[in-house]
Parts: sequence; C-alpha cells; structure tokens
Amino acid sequence: MALLKQITAALRTLLHRREADREMDDELREFIEASAAEKMKSGLRREEALRAARVEMGSTESVKEDVRAVGWETALETFWQDIRFAFRILRKNPGLSTIIVVTLALGIGANTAIFSVVNTVLLQPMPYKQASHLITIWGENKARGYDLDLVSYPDYLEWKSQNRVFESMGASTDEMYTLTGAGEPAAIIGYSFSPDFFDVLGISPLLGRTFARDEDQAGKDRVAVLNFHLWKTQFGGDPNIVGRSVTLDGRAYAVIGVMPQSFQYPPSVELWTPLTIDPGYAKDRGIRWMRVLARLKPGVTIGQAAADMRTIVAQQRNAYPNTNKGYDVNLVTLRELESGDVRPALLILLCAVGLVLLVACANVANLLLSRAVARRREIAVRTALGASRSRIVRQFLTESILLSLVGGVLGLAIAYRGVRALVAMFPTTISNLSIPRVESIPIDSWVLGFALLASLLTGVVFGLAPALQACRINPNDSLKESGRSGTSGMQGRRLRSALVISEVALSLVLLTAASLMIKSFMHLVQTDLGFHTDHVLTMRAFLPEYKYKTDTQQIAFGSEVLQRIESLPGVEAAGTVTFLPLSGWWGTREVLVAGRPIDPAAKNPRPVWGSVSPGYFRAMHVPLLKGRYFTDEDNASNANVAILSADLARALLPNEEPIGRQVMVQGFDKPRQVVGVVGSVYQLGIGVHQAGVKSEVTSEVYVPFAQAPSHLLCFAIRTNGDPLSLAKAVQREIWAVDKEQAVSFVESMDQLASETMALQRASMILLAVFAALALALAAIGIYGVISYSASQRTQEIGVRIALGAGRGDVLRLVIGEGLLLTLAGILIGVASAAGLTRFLASMLYGVSAIDSMTFVAVPIVLACVALAACYIPASRAMRLDPVIALRYE
Amino acid sequence: MTDSATTLVQGTLDMLILKTLTLEPLHGFGISQRIEQISRGVFRVNAGSLFPAFRRLERAGLIESEWRQTENGRRAKYYILTESGRKKLNAETKEWSRQIAAIARILEARG
Repeated sequence: MALLKQITAALRTLLHRREADREMDDELREFIEASAAEKMKSGLRREEALRAARVEMGSTESVKEDVRAVGWETALETFWQDIRFAFRILRKNPGLSTIIVVTLALGIGANTAIFSVVNTVLLQPMPYKQASHLITIWGENKARGYDLDLVSYPDYLEWKSQNRVFESMGASTDEMYTLTGAGEPAAIIGYSFSPDFFDVLGISPLLGRTFARDEDQAGKDRVAVLNFHLWKTQFGGDPNIVGRSVTLDGRAYAVIGVMPQSFQYPPSVELWTPLTIDPGYAKDRGIRWMRVLARLKPGVTIGQAAADMRTIVAQQRNAYPNTNKGYDVNLVTLRELESGDVRPALLILLCAVGLVLLVACANVANLLLSRAVARRREIAVRTALGASRSRIVRQFLTESILLSLVGGVLGLAIAYRGVRALVAMFPTTISNLSIPRVESIPIDSWVLGFALLASLLTGVVFGLAPALQACRINPNDSLKESGRSGTSGMQGRRLRSALVISEVALSLVLLTAASLMIKSFMHLVQTDLGFHTDHVLTMRAFLPEYKYKTDTQQIAFGSEVLQRIESLPGVEAAGTVTFLPLSGWWGTREVLVAGRPIDPAAKNPRPVWGSVSPGYFRAMHVPLLKGRYFTDEDNASNANVAILSADLARALLPNEEPIGRQVMVQGFDKPRQVVGVVGSVYQLGIGVHQAGVKSEVTSEVYVPFAQAPSHLLCFAIRTNGDPLSLAKAVQREIWAVDKEQAVSFVESMDQLASETMALQRASMILLAVFAALALALAAIGIYGVISYSASQRTQEIGVRIALGAGRGDVLRLVIGEGLLLTLAGILIGVASAAGLTRFLASMLYGVSAIDSMTFVAVPIVLACVALAACYIPASRAMRLDPVIALRYE
Repeated sequence: MTDSATTLVQGTLDMLILKTLTLEPLHGFGISQRIEQISRGVFRVNAGSLFPAFRRLERAGLIESEWRQTENGRRAKYYILTESGRKKLNAETKEWSRQIAAIARILEARG
C-alpha cells in the first residue's frame, strides 16, 4: 500500500512539477510568516522579524532541493539531464565520438559473434532430457592405443545387467543404406538403435513415434525413423510421411516417425532403424562393433559410474582372457564427445577476442582521459557552482555508457554479419569428425544479453578511470591555470602511459599467437600427405548386400566400372580403395609376420587396411619404393599377395628385406606374400585428432580387390583437367553397370584435403584478423598518446627550437617517448606471450609454442608499426614555427 | 544559539515529529515550535531538516497533509498522524526506551 502511494505521489510530482513547486513555495512562505509572527511577539518589527525568519531558514531553493531529493523522481530527472548533456557533449566532438563508437563496435561485435558460436556449439542445451547425465561408454586398450573402442554384444549385455549406476543403457551402430524408388538412388548414412535408445536419450519425435520394445526382432524390424533434414529434402516434407513405405537396400521399410530439427545423434545421420543382432556377432566377444550410451541414475557422478564399470570390466578381463585381455573401459560425457574437437579452438578464439576488446577499451579510455583533462576548466566551473563529486563522476560515466551502448548496438549489427561469415568458415562435417551441424547460428536472447552486458561493462570500465581522474583535478588550480605552466595536461599521464603499454603488450600476445598459427598452418599445407591431391576426382559407392552377395559379383562390378571409367577421355588413371584417405573412414587389421609366435598383449602393428584395384596407387601418385604394384594377375586364382606401406614394413621387418616375406593379415586365414612396398600415406590427414586414435596413422596394408572385395568402394580418378568436370560422366558409367547404385561424396581430393584443414584454417584466419585489429588499435593508441603529449609540449618545443634545437633533436624527443612506451609494452608482451602460448600448443603442428623466430620477428614488426605511428606527430612537431608555438595555449 | 538539532539522526527526528502530532494536527511551524517547547530548547530543528522529513513521512504513509485555515486566518498545510503512523510511533518508542535503558546501564556499570 505504501509502495503504491509512493509511486503515485512520485508520478504526480513529476507530471505536475510546477504545481508541486508552487505548493512548496506556499508552505515555506507560511512557515516564514508564522516564524515572523512568533518573533514579533517578542517585540521585533514586522520587517525585522521577516528578515530574521528568512535568515533562519536559509536559502529557500536549498530547502526545496532537499525536499525534492526525497523520492526517486528527482533521480530520474537528474538522470535524464545527464543523458541530454552527454548527447550534447558527444555531438560537439563528432570525430572523437565516431572513433570511439567504431572502436567499441568492432570490439563488442567480434566478441558477440564468437560468443554466439560458442553458445550454440558448446553451451547450448542438447535437446535431450537432462543431457548432462548422458554418458558414452567405450572400450579402452592402452597397450594398443585405443581410447574409444567399440563394444562387443556379450560384453554389452553384461554391462547392462550388472551395472548399478545407470538407469538405462542402449547400443547403436552405423549402417549404410541405399535408398531407391525416390529419385536418384541415394546412399543414406543410417544408424541403428536398440529399441530403448530413444528413451535413454529422452527425446520425443516430431511426427509419429520411435521404436517399440519388440521392434528389434526379425520381422518387426522393417521400420525407420527419419531425420528432419532427410524428410525435408528427400521426401519434400510430406505431411503424410508416417506410414509411407521406403525401399532401403531393396527391402521395404515403413516410416514410423520423424525427429525434430534439433536432433542430430550422431551428426550427419539421416535415418534410424532398429538394431538387430547378427547371430554371428551375438556370441562372439571378440567382435567389437557397438556404441553404447547410458543415462546416469540421479545423484550418481561420472566418477562413481566409471568405478563401477571398471569393476565389471575387470571381471570380464579375468573371465575371458582370450578376447578381453588388456581391455578397460572409458566413459565420456555426450557433451564432450560431440563438441570436444572444436572446443579448444573456440575457447582460444574467445580469449583472443576478449583481448581485442580489452585493447579497444584501453584505447577508448585513453582518448577519454585526454579529453577529461582538456575539459578541466569546465569541471572546475561546475564544481565551483556546487556540483558534487559524485554528480561529476556520474556525468562522465553516463557519457561513456552512452558511447558504449551505441557501440554495442552497432557491434550487434557487425556480429550478425560476422556470425554468418563464421558459419561459412566452420564446416559442418570435417571428414566424419563430429562437429555439431550448425545450419545457422541464431542471435538469441542469450547473445543479446551478452552484447548488452559487454557494452555496459566496457562503458563502466573505460569510463571510470577518466571520471575519477576528472575529479581529482583541483578546481582552483584549473581556474587559475593559463596553460603556460608547462605542466598542463600532465595529470593522468602515468595512467595514459600505462594504458598504452598494456595495449602494446596485449597486441603483441595476439600477434604472436596469430603468427604461430599461421606458421603451423603453412607447415600443415606443405606436409606431404603421401599422395597427390591435385587432379583427383573421388566418389564413394556402397554396394548393397542384398544385391551383391558374392565376391564374384563385387569383383565384376569393380572391374567393369573401372574399365569404363579408364576409357573416358581425360582420365589418366583410376582405381578403387576401401577407405579413401582423408575421408574420415578407416578400418584397421592386425598384421603379423607369418611364422612368428603370437603375443596377444604385445603392441602388434594394427595398420589401416585397404582393398585396392591395381590402378589405385597410380591414380593417387603413391610412390613405389620396392617391388611392384598389384596387377590384373593378382586375382582369386593366383597366390595371395599384399603390399605394405614403408612405415609398416619398417615396423614389422626392421632390418630385413620385406619383399617375398609372408604376412598374416587379420581376417584372412592364409598367409599373404609381400610383393611391394609403397610410400606411407596419412590416412586421416595431418594435425587432425580423430577420436579413437590419437597418433597419426601412416601404416597401411593393402590387398588386391580381386582377392578381397569389399562392399565399400571409394573411387580415385586422376584426370587431366578439372576433376569435377568429369563427375557426371563417371557417374553415368557407374549407372551403366548398375542403374540403382547410389554414389555419394562426389568431390575432388583437393576439396577433401581442404576440408580436413578447415578448422585449422578458420582458427588461423580469425586469429590473424583479431591480431591485426589489435595491432591497428594499439597503433592508434600510440598515435593518440604521442600526438597529445606533443601538443601539450608545444611551448616547450617552441622554446627548444628557438634556442637552436635542430629538427632531428625534436624528432628524437617526440619519438623517443613513443619508443620508450613501445619497448616497455613489448617486453611485457613477450614475457606474457611466452607464458600464454602454451595453451595454443594443442593446435600447433610442427611449430613449438615458443618458436624463437616468431618471438623475434613479431616484436620487430610491432616496433616498426609503433615507429610509424609516432612519426606523424613527430613530423608535425618538427615543422613547428617557434613563434606560433610559444604563443600556444 | 547552537543548533544541536542538526545532529539529530534522521530516524529520531521522524519519531519526534510523529510524537508531536499525536495530540492534534499541526502545520510545519507549529511542529517546529512544539519540538522546541517540549524539549525545553534543547532541540531546535530548522526548516531544511523538517520539510524533507515531512515529505519522507508522507511518502511512507505515516502522516497525511491538508490545507487548512490557521487561527490567524491564513492558510497553512497541516499534517495529520495516520493509523499506521501511530503504530509505528508506538513501536519506535518501545525500541527507543529499551536502547536508552541499556545505554544507561552500561554507563552506570562499575568496573
């Protein structure tokens, strides 16, 4: 009730200002009258009594002010006055205001853009119920270097039934389907879930339903749930999609549901089917093929869960030494799995952009400080007229907050643009790395809030220093000052110098980081992958099992298609391989030298394997080091052969001649003779940490396609001209052999290579942009300070010139100051950079975090830029006419 | 004459004003006089403290105001104690007495 009264009273006073004022006047007048009447009783005359009464009260205005101060409406009025005044001041200095607003806009805009990305990729809640409780469970075999290994069915069953920490658990695996009957045959990346998997995740479908408990049984399992993207593109967003039949691998599946747009588990999967257990895999503990996801019981931590799982796995180790020896378990939260690859890059960028904002703030603070000192007369007058210190501080703060809010709004516009550019730079899939698909990064309320907060904070941060500085100015001195004292403007000099030094230091750190990234990227680009990426057309085909049941069928398809492709004009060489390098797909097999005793716990080489056609190596320009490539004679009727990569040969047979030796390749009963050694290839690319294998794989073992066909064929076709120009022709040849064969991932090897480095490239470019921005800002800062300092010392310089100082002396005087500041900044910057760049180490390739060349070159560059920034004010000072200078005030 | 009323804490002044209004409504000068009278000249409150206090009390709903005719035929703004004002005064008086007694005890304690 009292609150309401307060508000209404305040509003009434605001609106009827004059009436309230008049009422106040009346009341005070009556008070004086009554007081005078009282005094007259003791004998004073009326005029004297009135005067005495007025003197007692003091200034009527003052009393009215005090009364007005009660109640918040005055604060509001004062606030409004402050804002209007701030506007006027800022408009009087359009140049300065513009520089400040633009500087801030860039700083805040860059920050907001990066924050949007970070928010969407790292912080955005996943569309699952209580996503923080979702844990993926992997096998771990330290001896063999696996930390994210798949799981076998019998192991999974035991995990599910014996654990005490999870409330639910599900399994999944990837599938490849060929979709026919709806336009061109399409290769669909599918995923099969155990029926309760969707429940473990805790998400409801957009349309229809997800799997029922019994739909993993044969006969009931011909159901599919579609991805939102697939539904929209392949099926045109058909509202009656539920119940429709689709043909996958020649079999009819009923569509039972569509998932919402936000659901992408795992990224780039288009379709989900129920997980059925192949009877061959059901009992084999050694075949590891499943991915396990589980939901923690409420209140259980991941540490506790890991401990529980470890005991279960230990029991399995003891009970089944043949298959489980050396295996442990690894638990990773879903969040980390999905964003882990991008997280370090994003965090580094966030820090970098924060530094840029700091530099911007320092710059602006500097500018405002100089201006505050220039306005000292104004402040002196206002103080003399009765303005309180807090009022002046408030005034300055209002100005800076206003500037930063305008800068923030502009920055938001910049961010909007910037985010779109960022999305283009961060690709959605990089050779199967799980980067969450981000079609668009929204500017949502979180981001807006962040921008607003950043604006306000910067306003306060850089406004406070000048504001407090302004107050420290003694009004007496300012009023008496004539400007000739020579110490004018020296107030706050230390603060300004400190700001410039910190700007230089911060830019140095950023520049060093950017240079390291650039150097690392150059290394990356120049490292030989083991094959040539230019002029190679690639595409992938997955032969559906229902059609290509026998080896003969697969071999026939392969050879016929290759024959047709090779006869196309413009094709130099063509070949197929199971797993195309840089595609992100890979498989490994153990390789042993035949005849040597087997040690199950030893770190036997487990190279990437590939089933290749004879023309493959020539198409990819993989060099032959020893022996020979495969030929058409290496087929099913002749001896089993194999080719090793140089690294594998070195690992298996370090000091012996590999050609002619027999090796056992896992999956093949009979030994194979080594007929050739080829150059090693970076199967996964360089500087790329593929989940599951931390080291870069360069060991490969190859077998001829004619002896060991696979359903997966990746084509590598070397062309004379632009590889993509032949894409349609090659596809036509494939369809000439089988018109229902889906072909996917049609791209040039160069494109693929570029994609694998996309993350590095994006980080490098962004970091370089930020560093350049910081450098520009620091240069402006130095320019500003030196320029101001020189103008303050105009008289002194005039005196010196008049006394005979030469141009060179003046130059040295002005530049000397600038260089001193720069030097100090560089020293601090180098020291900080040396300590901070270690956080960059995980993203650097072939470059140490304290690369000496970089640490020497960058300060030199910075010093040169600083020198250039000092030069302009210095040359101006040099050209001073001493007569004018001496009269300067 | 020393204006020791200026050392009166805000809250105390408020309480005194409320007290003076318990008997009958008064105008501004009347309140100032009454406080001076009752305190036998110890407290003299000037206009600069009184009027902000009036507004404060009015905003808090402890007093009301209306323009009336004085004995002299002039118009003045009279302040009236409200019900909640009366309650607040009782509460404050009790608390004040409690504190005074405690201070007295401390000051008279031996050792």
